[in-house]
Amino acid sequence: MSALSDLLGDVVSGVEAVLLFSPNSSHYRRFAEADPDEDLLVVAPNNTVDAETYVELPLEFDNVRDRIRFGIEGALERGLVEDEDIVACSVRIFDGDPDGVVRVRVTESMRSGIYDLFANSRAEPGVIRDVFEVAIELGKKGQKGKPVGALFVVGDAGKVMNKSRPLSYNPFEKSHVHVGDPIVNVMLKEFSRLDGAFVVSDSGKIASAYRYLEPAAEGVDIPKGLGARHMAGAAITRDTNATAIVLSESDGLVRAFKRGGLVLEIDPEEY
Amino acid sequence: MTETVVAAGSDATGIAQIDTRPLVDLFDAVPRAVWLGAIVAVAGVILAILLGGLTRRLLVRLGVPHAVEGTAFERTAREFGSSTVDVLGSLIRLFVLGVTFFGVLAIGNVAVASGFWGRTVQFLPQLFFALLILIVGVVVGDKVQMVISERLTGIKLPETGVFPRLAKFTVFYIAVLIALSQLGVATLALVVLLAGYLFAVVFLGGLALSDLLKSAASGSYLLLEQPYAIGDEVVIGDHRGIVQEVNLFVTHVEDDGEEFILPNSTVFETGVVRVRE
Repeated sequence: MSALSDLLGDVVSGVEAVLLFSPNSSHYRRFAEADPDEDLLVVAPNNTVDAETYVELPLEFDNVRDRIRFGIEGALERGLVEDEDIVACSVRIFDGDPDGVVRVRVTESMRSGIYDLFANSRAEPGVIRDVFEVAIELGKKGQKGKPVGALFVVGDAGKVMNKSRPLSYNPFEKSHVHVGDPIVNVMLKEFSRLDGAFVVSDSGKIASAYRYLEPAAEGVDIPKGLGARHMAGAAITRDTNATAIVLSESDGLVRAFKRGGLVLEIDPEEY
Repeated sequence: MTETVVAAGSDATGIAQIDTRPLVDLFDAVPRAVWLGAIVAVAGVILAILLGGLTRRLLVRLGVPHAVEGTAFERTAREFGSSTVDVLGSLIRLFVLGVTFFGVLAIGNVAVASGFWGRTVQFLPQLFFALLILIVGVVVGDKVQMVISERLTGIKLPETGVFPRLAKFTVFYIAVLIALSQLGVATLALVVLLAGYLFAVVFLGGLALSDLLKSAASGSYLLLEQPYAIGDEVVIGDHRGIVQEVNLFVTHVEDDGEEFILPNSTVFETGVVRVRE
């Protein structure tokens, strides 16, 4: 028993802050009433426990690592934790009550931009997540095993539509397809046949496909080696408040652009 | 006589035969009615167990345990080491057993069809259904409360706590009303009360929601016909801008960093100008 306590003691020794991920109220109250020396942070989709310091989790990541990274990034962004801090995270790994404690050293490199992407975008966080999932799924599957590329422009759809022109008739005209709908997964393969960009509104409605983006590309700084698709995606986010999510045909990575710059790069195979 | 039979059997085949004569005697000794009663009793018990199990499995298959998770009834049942599904299974088992019991009594020619017993027998199914309706009502009421309060969690106002509870007690009230009328209790006054309450809800609700309903009606036309789509420049009333979003209730029109959220009813009242270059 003492060996067990030692094990947990090692994990939580010298921590400066405790992050409670989606605690229930009794769980939180027990912590708050104990009044620990460590800072207490609640990371949850809603502040249901009326915690003083609270980081909003726009979506419940199933992957625990993503959830923790997201929470810590949010705390970093808000200045609640600093570089080199050691924090303990109480998380729920399986269903039910929180069942794990994870010791994490906060580093500046944890700022991947994903928190900013979800929390400060014009489109709803759930919509961004859904588009990401579509892009990742498309990156994994490809078209008959061949890699494909795709460009999604999310949010500020009205302005994006005015800065682009149709390449062909819009297959989504008078339809009400939202990115989270199950039908979208079925359409995935067909999606990749379509040339041009997909325009997705703030609430997730697919406004159009086959759009040729016509933003001014001056002053857009993206890594060298990325092609016209990425350039178009990055440029449109400089002219509008949209977020561009691009699946690269050549290296298979999913990249997100905001305000004309690259904010996130993920490999679909690792997801 | 018996001995000869046995002996003959052994001689002929080398296998001892079982003498059934005493069993037949026993069968004859007990009146037919008792046999029938015993068979009905055994069949009833088996049927009760089977039906109870079947109900349980059917309810589990329909996802009832998951649906009633967290309701007050389920929690109370849990405290007694049971569950809603178990309670319903036992109830049906009890009902079948009760029917069997009275069936056996009837076969035994006990005068059940008259006087006190007669009324009890007629009353039993009603009591059973009343109980069933009450349990279902309580569970559904709790569930309705949970679902509504979940929907309202985003709104952090103490006043919103009224709506889930109101919905719960409405369901309870209706369940009690149906259960009581099953039992034949005079419920006219309660029905009148319910009618008044429902009228108030519908009338006042309609009055309060009239704007929303009007917008929803216009919105359904706008969504089906799409006279204007995302990206079009329009003038609605005094507001000019680019359409960003159309949903059932409102249209978002944006102009140079100003986003107007206009109820769809205004689209129909004032009309829309589509700006074409």
